Amino acid sequence: MSETKWGMVIDLDKCTGCQSCVVACQAENNIPINTEDIFNQRRAIEWIRIERYWEGEFPNVKARYIPVLCQHCDEAPCEPVCPVLATYHNDQGLNVQVYNRCIGTRFCANNCPYTVRFFNFWEPEWPDSLKNQLNPDVTVRSRGIMEKCTFCIQRIRRFSRNPESGEKVTERDLNPACTNACATDALVFGNLNDPKSKVSKVRSKGENRSYKMLEDLGTEPNVIYLKKVEKGTKQENNAH
Amino acid sequence: MPTSHDSHQQTQFSKQADLTEKLVELHVSKYNKNRIFLILLSALSLMGLIGLIVKISTGFNNPSDWGYYVTFVAYLLTTVQAAPMVAIAPFIAKGHWNRPISKIAQLFAPLGLINLILFIPVLFVLPSLSDGRRTLWFFESLKMNSHMPHIMTSISFICLVLLGIALLWISTVPDFAILRENSKNPYHKKVFSILSNRWIGTSKQWFTQKHRIGILGAFYFMTLVIVNFQISSDFAMSLIPGWIDALYPITHTANSFQAGVATVILAMFALRTWGGCKEFIGFDQFWALGKLMFALSLMWIWFFFSSFIVFWYGAKPTEKAIIELSMTGPYFIAFLGSAFLLFILPLLTMPFNKIRRSILGPTVIAFFILIGSFLDKLRIYVPAYQLTEHPNKHNIYLSDIPKAILPDVPDVMIIVGGISAIILAFTVLTKLIPVISIWQQKELSLYKIHKKFHRTEVLVLGKPE
Amino acid sequence: MQEHHHRTDKQINKELLSSIFATPKWWPIATLFCLIVYLIGMTAFGYMLNKGIGVTGLNRPVFWGFYMVNFVFWIGISHAGIMISAILRLTQAEWRRPITRSAEVLTVFALIAALQAAPLVHVGRPWRADLWVFPYDFSRGIWINIKSPFIWDPSAVMTYLTASSLFVFVCLIPDLAVIRDRTKGIVSKIYGFLALGWRGTPVQWKLQIVAGILLSALVLPVFVSVHSIVSWDFAAQIGPEAWHSTIFAPYFIIGAIHSGVSAVATVMVVMVWLFKWDKYITPDHLDAIGRLLIIVATAWFFFFFLEWVYALYTLESPELAMRELQVFEMPWRALFIVFVITAYLFPVPMWLFKKVRRSFLWMFITTISVNIGMWLERFLIIVPGLMRKQPLMFNWGSYTPSMVEILMVCMTFAWVFMGMLLFARVFPLIPLFDIKEGMLVRDEIKIGRAKVPATIRE
Repeated sequence: MSETKWGMVIDLDKCTGCQSCVVACQAENNIPINTEDIFNQRRAIEWIRIERYWEGEFPNVKARYIPVLCQHCDEAPCEPVCPVLATYHNDQGLNVQVYNRCIGTRFCANNCPYTVRFFNFWEPEWPDSLKNQLNPDVTVRSRGIMEKCTFCIQRIRRFSRNPESGEKVTERDLNPACTNACATDALVFGNLNDPKSKVSKVRSKGENRSYKMLEDLGTEPNVIYLKKVEKGTKQENNAH
Repeated sequence: MPTSHDSHQQTQFSKQADLTEKLVELHVSKYNKNRIFLILLSALSLMGLIGLIVKISTGFNNPSDWGYYVTFVAYLLTTVQAAPMVAIAPFIAKGHWNRPISKIAQLFAPLGLINLILFIPVLFVLPSLSDGRRTLWFFESLKMNSHMPHIMTSISFICLVLLGIALLWISTVPDFAILRENSKNPYHKKVFSILSNRWIGTSKQWFTQKHRIGILGAFYFMTLVIVNFQISSDFAMSLIPGWIDALYPITHTANSFQAGVATVILAMFALRTWGGCKEFIGFDQFWALGKLMFALSLMWIWFFFSSFIVFWYGAKPTEKAIIELSMTGPYFIAFLGSAFLLFILPLLTMPFNKIRRSILGPTVIAFFILIGSFLDKLRIYVPAYQLTEHPNKHNIYLSDIPKAILPDVPDVMIIVGGISAIILAFTVLTKLIPVISIWQQKELSLYKIHKKFHRTEVLVLGKPE
Repeated sequence: MQEHHHRTDKQINKELLSSIFATPKWWPIATLFCLIVYLIGMTAFGYMLNKGIGVTGLNRPVFWGFYMVNFVFWIGISHAGIMISAILRLTQAEWRRPITRSAEVLTVFALIAALQAAPLVHVGRPWRADLWVFPYDFSRGIWINIKSPFIWDPSAVMTYLTASSLFVFVCLIPDLAVIRDRTKGIVSKIYGFLALGWRGTPVQWKLQIVAGILLSALVLPVFVSVHSIVSWDFAAQIGPEAWHSTIFAPYFIIGAIHSGVSAVATVMVVMVWLFKWDKYITPDHLDAIGRLLIIVATAWFFFFFLEWVYALYTLESPELAMRELQVFEMPWRALFIVFVITAYLFPVPMWLFKKVRRSFLWMFITTISVNIGMWLERFLIIVPGLMRKQPLMFNWGSYTPSMVEILMVCMTFAWVFMGMLLFARVFPLIPLFDIKEGMLVRDEIKIGRAKVPATIRE
């Protein structure tokens, strides 16, 4: 149990659907600019996206938000299907994408039931003025390559490299960009195997509301969702 | 001036008369043979009947006790009732080699009546659809009768048996006519007169008979597929929560062809060795059926693997449970046995000419295939009936794998008795129906001539179409 | 065969080699047309190579579209060769004689078309899939992932391609010798080299026959496994719920036989129309293939029914969503109706009539209809399956093919037609020695007053 297993807890009761996480991820990970054309072609790349579902009939219409990102499944269906082993599971529980091995068959994208894998249909371009904002720690992908959420592996790596330097590293350095950007603390990231970590504590506190997406498929995701508390239910009093 | 063709025809027709005499003699002479064998079979069948009565008296409230019984019924369906396919399929493909054995294959069709009787208790064992399990009758949405599987399977089962009997009768009518003309016993003569239905062999009668056999054969095949579909999905798949295998009805049918061919091979061997048919059932028949059985054994692994790879690769919890239930878990030994006997053994032996192109080779492999076939059914039907009383039978996912159960004494009595009854019934039937079809042999002799061809002598086979 | 035109060896040589020794009038135009279409398709591919996969209609979630459909289609057509050649050879059916070679050649070209349809072209970085494979870059100690169906695929297809090519070549040798002996100079030398010194001695014939039988028997497992493996590209996946069915392997195979045998029938009719070989391919042959097609088509329809019925078995949303799309929403509904009609409801009732089976025109129309339907069938499995992967509706999508994809699909068709035309110009499409053997083993038996056709068996 001492091995690190990165995971995330997303509290849907706290999520407001503001999309700060989406923007932060885009900035941190050199994600190509999604123009209107690209969006209409259904090729927009959003490593984390807010899925919005409408429920009910007018006037009792409700909007449901759920941030969806790569679930870093223990039994990831995207891993066995890649012919060139461009995606595999590392020893810290992350589903890792190796850009320079990828030949772009898009098999992994099809087998992902959450559709969280993205393909670079076009060569990403940034105007000169924006080139300076590219993150030097993250590969800039060319066309023909698959990409997806990495739990900001560059930040995890940097955090694990620094303990000797004496520099004080906080939890916010370790967190992925989306987690740091979230205004309501709906996203919590950390080591699921460490019972003292924040993520484990939030998880056990919300045990009665917790679920995983598409659990019946047996993918064993490492992103745990906490159900939104309905107004006027018993849970409202027990939550938080 | 008599040409070579005329003398050829003369020899043709005198050959025919000799052939008729020989085959009638063969049929008649089989009376009063093998008394001890028949007595032994009767005793075992009686034991089976007692076992059946004991089993029924224990009631139908515990479906898991009936697992092995249902396995046996499905087993008989896939061996005895699939055997007539050996007569039907090559008939459509117009092969000549199956002429001597087509009657043997068709003789298994009325034995389906025994299976039909054994099927009746199964109707009481199968729970009604109102227990909420998944079913292809879409019970809840379509608001059907909760006993649809029972009713519909019974109808198709009865149709199958009737079609089989009709097929056997229609194709034996010319033989009954020959026996009517050639029998000396007046009582026999009367029986054959009734059975031969005023057959005199006019062109019109032959034409009608040929078409009837064709249509009956095609319908028998279709009904067999339907019955296999119903038995495998309503009487097995539906009972195992979370098992969705669109291929299983086909697998069940294909496996039944393999076992059906094996059954016919064993019957052929028995008749050749102890039934005096050595002259007519020869290498050609064993070679052709052996090849067919080998091809069907290779198809076993194809169908098995097609299901297996989807479940194993998908690795969904439901699929993992199915693999454990029917393969790696409690019925592992049955699975290993079936995989070895149905595929690995034929694969390791049949490619070798010495084994395949012989009489004993295909027979021994056929025997092992019949054992393997039973194990293959066992690992599906027994857990299916165990799960009817399992706590999560209404759940969509199977989370608890039950332990293996062994057959109890009445089960063993029924299985042994049932097989003996089949053999006994077959032997009794051969007293009435000539086991080598006389008219087909005569037709073959018309089409087969030996001719001089350049410097050698060859066999010329007529192909009427 | 009731209808029999007796041909002497001389006549056979003359008629079947006519397209090789003299260019038919229509040939240059036809081949040029195919070449032009092929080059246009290649240009489209070049454009895609330059700009990226973005020029296609592919998107998220429909990451596979026309290319994969076309790939599965051509793999399906390629099954014709084996069905006709190997199985009919092993069951010693006489009516196979004029059509074995064209079926086998169709297989070879269809397989290469399949490779051009998807594996070599539709990946994001084709230069890595096509050029950096031999030798494979394993400098970091990482090889290919043998657990991936995309590794099983090329292994199976290349095995099949090798086996079929060998099959075509081995059965071509005696005919190559015939041409060698009737040409002069460098042409004769080339044919001579390919004919491997064939003299027609008994030993050589025996070797050739044994090789043919062995290849037929060995290629049968390949035949079954190739399309099963292609089907497992889809069935092994759990992402698109509608694909995860165990019936895919036999369903695809029987679909391939249906589509492939129809394609062979089309080729038969076209050969008679173009090369005037009506003495070799008679209505009897069409009749036989028509009857085979009825059985195959009906078996296919049964599998189609089974697939549907078990898709609805769970009455759960993912599978239902994809079927609802196919049945209720336009334009998918129109495509679905067209598919069922063209693949089964139109051709099969037609084939029940002997007149239709024996008519060249009607066999052409019905078999083309089957292949239109089967192309649509693959499309309706792949694209709607991806459009409705899971019950998460936010990720449902759609797909419209682009011009580039349409041109590249046409390119593969042009490849196959061009290949067959070029082959016909250099090698005989109807095997000479097979026909001559057929003439030799034909005989007649007199039964009473009737004359029954017969064959000589040793």
